[in-house]
Amino acid sequence: MADRRRLIALAYIAPAALVYIGFAIWPAIHTVYLSFLDWDGILPATWAGLDNYRAIFTDSMLGPSLWHAIVLILFFAVIPCALGLFMTALLQGTTRGMTTFRVIFFLPQVLPLVAVGITWRWLYNDEGLVNQGLRAVGLGGVTRAWLGDYNLALIALGFIGTWAMSGLCMVLFLAGAQKIDTSLYEAVAIDGGGPVRRFFVVTLPALRGEIAIASVITTIAALASFDLVFVTTNGGPANQTTVPGLLVYRLAFNESNIGGAAALAVVLTLVVIVFVTAIRRLTREKP
Amino acid sequence: MRTRPLAAVLALALALTACAESGGGESAAPSDVSKELTKENITLKLAYTDDPPSKALISAFEAEHPNIKIDAQQTPFSDYVKSIKLSMAADTPPDIAEYNPGAMRSLVPAGLIYDLTAYEKLYGWNDGFPAASLEVLRSNKEAKEYGTGGLYAVPGALSVLGVFYNKQLVQAAGVTKPPSTLDEFKANLAAVKGKGTTPFSLGGLEVGGFQLWNALTNSLGDEQQYRDWVYGKPGSTIQTDAAKQAAQTVVDWVGAGYIPASANATADADAQANFVNGKSAYLITGNWAASVIEKGMGANVGFFLLPQAKAGESTVASGASVAFSISSKTKHPNEAAAFLDFMRSAKAATIQFDTGFMPVNNEAPIQASGLRGDIAGEFKKVVGDNGIVPFPDFASPNMIDRLTSGTQGLLSKQSTPDAFLTSLQESWTQYHG
Repeated sequence: MADRRRLIALAYIAPAALVYIGFAIWPAIHTVYLSFLDWDGILPATWAGLDNYRAIFTDSMLGPSLWHAIVLILFFAVIPCALGLFMTALLQGTTRGMTTFRVIFFLPQVLPLVAVGITWRWLYNDEGLVNQGLRAVGLGGVTRAWLGDYNLALIALGFIGTWAMSGLCMVLFLAGAQKIDTSLYEAVAIDGGGPVRRFFVVTLPALRGEIAIASVITTIAALASFDLVFVTTNGGPANQTTVPGLLVYRLAFNESNIGGAAALAVVLTLVVIVFVTAIRRLTREKP
Repeated sequence: MRTRPLAAVLALALALTACAESGGGESAAPSDVSKELTKENITLKLAYTDDPPSKALISAFEAEHPNIKIDAQQTPFSDYVKSIKLSMAADTPPDIAEYNPGAMRSLVPAGLIYDLTAYEKLYGWNDGFPAASLEVLRSNKEAKEYGTGGLYAVPGALSVLGVFYNKQLVQAAGVTKPPSTLDEFKANLAAVKGKGTTPFSLGGLEVGGFQLWNALTNSLGDEQQYRDWVYGKPGSTIQTDAAKQAAQTVVDWVGAGYIPASANATADADAQANFVNGKSAYLITGNWAASVIEKGMGANVGFFLLPQAKAGESTVASGASVAFSISSKTKHPNEAAAFLDFMRSAKAATIQFDTGFMPVNNEAPIQASGLRGDIAGEFKKVVGDNGIVPFPDFASPNMIDRLTSGTQGLLSKQSTPDAFLTSLQESWTQYHG
């Protein structure tokens, strides 16, 4: 009887499981397998052992590109979460115009990053809106083509990420804040606490779960970023904005080095797992 | 019980991987080569990315051979170079495919495209195709060295890298004729700058930046040495005085304000638009852009090849072609070869010219004026001098990334000409070793 029930259960799971195995697990396993091959995508592959990994760790491009991805975490994850919390503290409890606010701030999430990138390339260019704004307030001296500036391109790129991710964080936090019992706020008020105290004592701890989710999503977006970089700077100027995702693409499609690309993808996945695990540890509720 | 699904997944994975990778073998040559074409109705599949000129050439060929239908499939360039290798490795590949020596080199050792030497002899292709335009389409069996060995494609239209100039803007600076030496060109740049016009528009974000260095290297350096390096001839180097001087010139021109500070954030299309809108006096690009530029500027634009260091030296310029190769799996190699042979015909020459390219058959009579006349005249000169050289990004698989980022380093004055050339040579050695 128990066996039969188990079979029925498996039958229900099977369709979804097959899709998941076919489109998520299997490609992942296959990628690991490819990373041990020397393969150009056409000729028969030969076993390469750890050669691809050795090549990646001795490549002078890997270090800087990983560092760029880590810098991007500041702009894709840290600043958006901080901004999101700040906006939540401000907007919490208001009802008028809330939907409009949410739609406006969430909009960047709905747009494909490729479209976002192209739009920002215009905003950032010589005659773009950013420079027009600077000139209007008398800062004509600092104007430049931001994405082409050797020292500032990565930061300029990072702010596009901030723009795209802040809305997501805010919407997640606002939703979380709605479930906070208002009597907690009343209790703080009775104790004589103001809005700052209310935020740190009640809101922030209550949003622990949402903060964890938002940081994980945005950190992955930073470490695995590709599309935004590809359409805005393509790693330039002079490799100042290369990220690991871009190197994977170049290895696979420009250099026909499928094994190397797979190995780098595996390494990138491990880096993502390390960061995500660290975030989950940090945000875990203490028993 | 719990481990069983995982074991099943692993078994499935291994079974699938075992049959995943397979490929071709040795380099391939056609048998039964003949000019005799079938009388039956047949269809050839053709994969291409460049249009113009492909569609018009295909229609003209079909008109001459009513029983041969060409089923053509166009793909945008960036997708084409990524997918064509897989399509050619499939069981039913296109019979004819547009060929790119940089992106498609692995098709040669895989034996997926024909070595066309037999057809070259049969048709006498050394006549009617400029020698330099066939040279870059030759490769050894391993695809490690170009310019030697079998012929793997035939050009269907030619292009060349040169300088477009805004007539009003240069005349305002007192420049009345195209320069005949590089020094004269530099003097012109200074005069243009003196009038408050930015001399160049430059797409440093994409290929525009390194094409400037490329053109300067061609005009300063030894042509054969540069060719050998791009083709991968053992022992070649790009760390030459001329290449270094060319890189230094780029740096100097940034310092002198000849190149806009925003170049590194400018895409090629934007640089072209800036030039068309009169924001700069000069633009270095290929004649593939001619029809768009002419549409925007009318009679106000002219074209010359970047002059050599000394007057009277034979002209050298980088050029490429829209070339076609034949799948080694085709059932109709003779008919496909007839399509390739058609490219040097007078009829094809007219189409190639009318669609903005240079004709493959340089002897074909062409009527042209204005910008097209300039280009045709300059092109005839450089083909006559056998001075068409390949683009530098064909030198090794990741050369284009090194060239782009390296030039960006020069443009932002963050790297030296020496460091730039060392990085190029490093990529070359990695591949050709």
